[in-house]
Amino acid sequence: MNAVSALIGYAGVIGFLAPRLLLRSSWPHRAPVLAVAAWQALAMSFVVAVSVAVYEFAEPTGHEHAGVLGLLQTCGLAAVADHAHTTSADLLAVAVPAALTVLLLGVFSREVVRAHQARSRHRAVLDLVGRRSSTLRATIIEHALPAAYCLPGRCPRVVVSQGALQLLSADQLDAVLDHERAHIAGRHHLVLAAAEAFAKIFRGLPLARHVREQTGLLLEMIADDRALRCHSRDVLATAMYEMAAAKTPRGAFAAGGPNALLRLRRLLTPQHQPHPAFSGSIAAVAVTVPLLPLLAACAPSAG
Amino acid sequence: MRRLGDLEAEIMDRLWTWKRPATVREVVDDINRQRPIAYTTVMTVANILYNKGWLLRNKQGRAWLYAPVRSREAYTAALMEDALGTSEDRPAALAHFVEQMPDDEVAALRKALRAAGRRTRP
Repeated sequence: MNAVSALIGYAGVIGFLAPRLLLRSSWPHRAPVLAVAAWQALAMSFVVAVSVAVYEFAEPTGHEHAGVLGLLQTCGLAAVADHAHTTSADLLAVAVPAALTVLLLGVFSREVVRAHQARSRHRAVLDLVGRRSSTLRATIIEHALPAAYCLPGRCPRVVVSQGALQLLSADQLDAVLDHERAHIAGRHHLVLAAAEAFAKIFRGLPLARHVREQTGLLLEMIADDRALRCHSRDVLATAMYEMAAAKTPRGAFAAGGPNALLRLRRLLTPQHQPHPAFSGSIAAVAVTVPLLPLLAACAPSAG
Repeated sequence: MRRLGDLEAEIMDRLWTWKRPATVREVVDDINRQRPIAYTTVMTVANILYNKGWLLRNKQGRAWLYAPVRSREAYTAALMEDALGTSEDRPAALAHFVEQMPDDEVAALRKALRAAGRRTRP
């Protein structure tokens, strides 16, 4: 029982407090790749904690012999010698974590498939009405509204509208296209689909909401950084402003949010990367955090 | 080797440009000015486009007259709406460079650029 309450407490910390901590720190925007990993690690750790808590609740004496064997047993890696009598508690202990895993994978696959279908439909039209430009390595569509986007996945496309071609200078256009190619090369759509799946399953959990929002923003920053390898900060920042400021039909696409401003400020004030030692420790924590609940479950309980 | 999709685009492109219904023969003759292509190939692909719902057709004497269902502009507008629109339940299918935003947020962007000493267009 001790382990169960500890795990529930741990899940609470990860689900409610850890996001606040991460949102308040300044390093994620300076090291967006690491930050994406950190958010995903928190999500994974939450899932593992919930699973192990259920297991512990159903099998409080599951591994009195704590230690490596207990850990392996919890992981389901070691065959349990005395499984002569299978009780309903045993079944529950295995079924709930298994169901959670299947649910996560299922929702993730559904997200991936749904997005893939939406892109295929879009690409079918795009390939008929768009004009391929081999110099730009992009598809041009005849529309006055400035737009640049990509269709990631198999048969990827980078799309730019005639409006954007007229608005941007050659340098700016190159920077924007490089940004879009970074999304494709980095397979960002899969990372986003994972965050989306987690958010759908744990709706209402602060961690879930923040994982989805932050992953989206951080992936944009990663693509910005990629574009900065070949282009100046000024070029990318002004391109971002021109595209955002271009007049759109009133009310047609009233979305937005503070993300563009965050990205622009980040471009304009060069950020120094976190110290390698700091990055190393964050990476180590990101790898360890998903495994922590297992250790908590297997620590010899005093009670 | 051209892909099937490329020929589909070529046929649609001609019908959109001509802005009138046309027979397979007319399309074949026009493509033949640039490169040889078999009548049956174009006929097959026109049939595919008809079955996909891209083309309408009417019998004119012994030949079919094909015409696009919607204008190129209509399809392009639909594409843009799909790409830039923000439905709540939209899957993460497209990644666009920067979202459209209200005036006050654009003003905030301009301020940030000015503060950094960058010129913006008036």
